[in-house]
Order: sequence, then structure tokens, then C-alpha cells
Amino acid sequence: MSDALVARLLGPVGPEIGCEECFAELDRYVELELADGDAEAAVPGMRAHLHGCPACAEEHASLRDLAASPPA
Amino acid sequence: MSTGPAVSVGRVSTAPGRGAENQRWLDALNGSGPQRDAAVAELHGLLLRAARFEVARRRPALGHLRGEEPGDIALQAADDALVSVLARLADFRGESRFTTWAYKFALLEAAVALRRRAWQGREIPLEPERWPLFAGGELAAGAGPEQRELLRAVVAAVDRALTPHQRRVLLAVVLDDVPIDVLAERLGTTRGALYKTIHDARVRLRATLAEGGFDV
Repeated sequence: MSDALVARLLGPVGPEIGCEECFAELDRYVELELADGDAEAAVPGMRAHLHGCPACAEEHASLRDLAASPPA
Repeated sequence: MSTGPAVSVGRVSTAPGRGAENQRWLDALNGSGPQRDAAVAELHGLLLRAARFEVARRRPALGHLRGEEPGDIALQAADDALVSVLARLADFRGESRFTTWAYKFALLEAAVALRRRAWQGREIPLEPERWPLFAGGELAAGAGPEQRELLRAVVAAVDRALTPHQRRVLLAVVLDDVPIDVLAERLGTTRGALYKTIHDARVRLRATLAEGGFDV
């Protein structure tokens, strides 16, 4: 438990983008992930941000799952 | 808040058929008359699908919602997202499907609304509730000597190296799981500004620990 809390307090290692840039790039990043492209190379710092920001991580997971699901 | 060096990001090649579909959306939404009305209605339907998807995804944790409230939240999120999408059409760069780009606005609106609804009427403690447990070592049960030493150093760095604002924001979001949008609303600031506060606090914590000889 304490390991996880320390990790969350210290956050990701290395450069990361902010929430605004994350939102701006999220659709492109998700489609690259779904196409097995190198999403991190296209949007450097996105993966670190998703590790450090719970809200953006939730929205990333939702968009990835929604984009991967066929329309009803 | 890009913290690294500027990096040139190449454009994503357009998948066959995607460009034409994206252009169809842009032409229709930038047009006028019945064609535009139909496109707006189609877009609203997509946004409502996304908002309902987000509400359904969070439904198990939304025991506080009653009756029609989930549907109302989804509809309001779709309405708000429609306004945002139409206002930002010029920002769409065609680097993804138009639908994926539009979906993210509805997901954001729904997620923010649900987080705020979950914290409606709840006070955000001025002093983080779990910090005394953490600082007192009660969460370190079973940790080895090296881990305990790191924990003591982290506690000391949080208490001494951070500004009061950095400490409050970091501990509220990380330790007490206050959603960053909710905290931003209560403090009268933005999510981006608060995340920068968290980022700066983390940089300071890591620097302080490194000065103390920890490899973090």
C-alpha cells in the first residue's frame, strides 16, 4: 500500500505533457494505439501524463474503449 | 505544460476513406439549411452515445444517482459537448476520425459532470484526511528498513519542501482521491493549472529526495 502511495505522490518519471495538450491529442493517440502504431512516439509525454493524472487516464480509457466498440 | 524539449510531431497518415468521411462531416456542419440540421442531429446522436457510454461505464460506482438522473446527465453532457464541438470545428486537424475527435468532448462533459455529482455536498478537507496515517507510518506496516527510510524522507519532503498550496493540492488528489476537476471548481481555477501545481510539487519532491541520496 505504501509503495503505491509513494509512487502516486512522486508521479511519473521524465517529461510529460499537461492536461490541455493531453485532451488536444487524445483522439489521435487513441487511434494510433488501436492501430498498433507508436502512439508514444507521436505524442511524447502522453504516457507519462496518463500515469500521473487519474482524470485524464479515465477519459483515455473511455475513449479507447468507445472508439474500439462498433456503433449500436 | 510541456516539460521536455520541443519535439517535432509528424502528422498521421490519413487512412483510406477516413479523409472523405471527415470532409463530409466538416462540409455538412459548416454548411447551412436542412443538410446542416441533419448533420447536427446526427452529431448529437453520436455525442449522446458517447455520454451514455461514460455513464454506463461508471454506473456501478454511481449508487447515489436516482431515477432519471443518469439519463439526464448523459443528455446534458451531449448538449454541452455539441456546443463545444460546433464551436471548435476549426480546431479539427483531421488526424483522427471526426467521430473519435467528437466523442472525447462528450466523454469529458459526462465524466466531469459525474465526478462533480459524486462530490456534491461533500466537503474537501483543508487537511488531507489520510496524511496523518501515512505520515505516522501506519500505512507502512510490513515495509522493510529501506522502504521505511524512503517513507520517512517522503513525509519530510512533503511537509518541508512543498508550498502549502502544493501540499494541499497534491495530497487532496493523490491521497484523498479528490477528482482534479472537483478541486479545480472549488478553488476557482482550472484542471490544467492544478495539474501543473501537482507536477511542480512532484519535481520538487524528487529533487529533495535526490539531494538526500535517494534514487527516485
